[in-house]
Amino acid sequence: MEFKLASVDSLIIYFGNEISQDVASKVKNAYLSLKKQNCEGIIEIIPSYSSIFITYDIFKYNYDEVKVKLQESISEESSDILNENIVSIDVYYGTDVGLDLEDMSIKTGLSIEEVILIHSQKLYDVYAIGFLPGFAYMASVDKKIAMPRLSSPRKSIPKGSVSIADTQTAVYPQSSPGGWNIIGRTALELFDKNLDSLSPLSVGDKVKFNPISKEEFLSQGGVL
Amino acid sequence: MSLEIINAPIFATVQDKGRFSYTSIGVTNSGVMDEFSYEMANKLLGNNKEANTIEIAFSNVHFKVNAQTTLAITGASCEFFINDVLKTTWQTHNVKAGDIIKVGKILEGTRVYLSVKDGFKIEKEFGSNSTTIKENLGGLDGDKLKKGQVLAFDSYLQAHNTRLKEKFIPKFTNELELRVLLSYQDDNFQQEQIDKFFSSTYTITNEFNRMGCKLSGEAISCDINGIISEGISFGAIQIPSDGQPIILLKDRQTIGGYPKIGSVLSIDCFKLAQAKPKCKITFKPIEIKEAQEKLKEFYLAFN
Repeated sequence: MEFKLASVDSLIIYFGNEISQDVASKVKNAYLSLKKQNCEGIIEIIPSYSSIFITYDIFKYNYDEVKVKLQESISEESSDILNENIVSIDVYYGTDVGLDLEDMSIKTGLSIEEVILIHSQKLYDVYAIGFLPGFAYMASVDKKIAMPRLSSPRKSIPKGSVSIADTQTAVYPQSSPGGWNIIGRTALELFDKNLDSLSPLSVGDKVKFNPISKEEFLSQGGVL
Repeated sequence: MSLEIINAPIFATVQDKGRFSYTSIGVTNSGVMDEFSYEMANKLLGNNKEANTIEIAFSNVHFKVNAQTTLAITGASCEFFINDVLKTTWQTHNVKAGDIIKVGKILEGTRVYLSVKDGFKIEKEFGSNSTTIKENLGGLDGDKLKKGQVLAFDSYLQAHNTRLKEKFIPKFTNELELRVLLSYQDDNFQQEQIDKFFSSTYTITNEFNRMGCKLSGEAISCDINGIISEGISFGAIQIPSDGQPIILLKDRQTIGGYPKIGSVLSIDCFKLAQAKPKCKITFKPIEIKEAQEKLKEFYLAFN
């Protein structure tokens, strides 16, 4: 754990300098231990791939005091390894919604079915949430279907699009400009004002994509 | 009991202190760009610190009053009329049903705040009325205010009007010195680059909105091109590969991968919020201990 000043009322804690499962699990454990303690005067906690950013009430702690407080509160070790949240996301992987499936099939030399199988077989870790509310950066996509971002981003990617950029995968929670490769679509709301937590995903969760038919997708309220 | 918008404002939004504790799922803090003007309006009106306001970023917004209340205009200096009579800003005014309020031309500064006694009655979204358009959150409908919309309030009549002393009313100039805490990736900038950053004069470009403020001037180079995406503070100064600093403000994205040389002290970001493109910017270092004392003084002054 390395503390670094961020601003007048915030700091950042680094748990490593690489994107890896090992670093991510330290971030996750520290994040969960902090959230569990619900320390007074800690305002924002933003976990990401290798760091946790924190803003705090300067009327409660000065910079040195908050560092001591956080050092005491954070545990990098998992308190409960069984406490693993696996979220299943139903995806319709059709070429009518998976705008880049055919292109990816050509570039990888794999059939479309193989691309879908490889993407949906793996269990992914949520490493960070940002860019848009509920936009979760998940990894790692099998290298066989890893794909760089489009050279020219699309002006509008439809809401619910399941996408790949390099070895990361994500779902667009709302329609937005973007440069990720689109392989399918889900009817699941990734940012839902009616949910207490706002998003079904949080950093540290695991995600499994579950292929469904067009009919199932439509019956779930999916829009083509 | 309400205020009705009777023309089409170019860019006016409902704001308050901001939306907190949802940044972990990518929801930004949002909130008023100029907290000094906002806090002062609430102080003049005797409002609680959470009361919302209308942040007006372009000239000419007209309202019709539908019940009596007390209101105040703070922020950028502007032509302010009640029933076509020019009135003073930074003071409270009683208005009654039928009155027409006009925020006319903005003269100096950029953002005008129109606050009413006890704020507008709008249901909060995730603890705040602050509007973030890209997230479709806050305000009346997650968007900027439009002609014909109605902002409800509780009727009120204040016995005495209060007014801010002239010497406390901010002056808006075309030069601004911003205090900076070296932080984040400052170790990845060579000393000569840091010296260059503090000795150069930058200019505010047209890329200046609620998300951030892009400057132009001496390019600053960083030893690293990008970083692993991480949480971004209010006032953080990103140095993208073109070396031109970007100061991140209230609607900033929550995480990002550009190196950051430091952060502008939030009090100075509030001053920046009133600056215009072409304004000259210089930076001056400040240490964390002094910075926190200054920020505490700032907030305590409104108690």
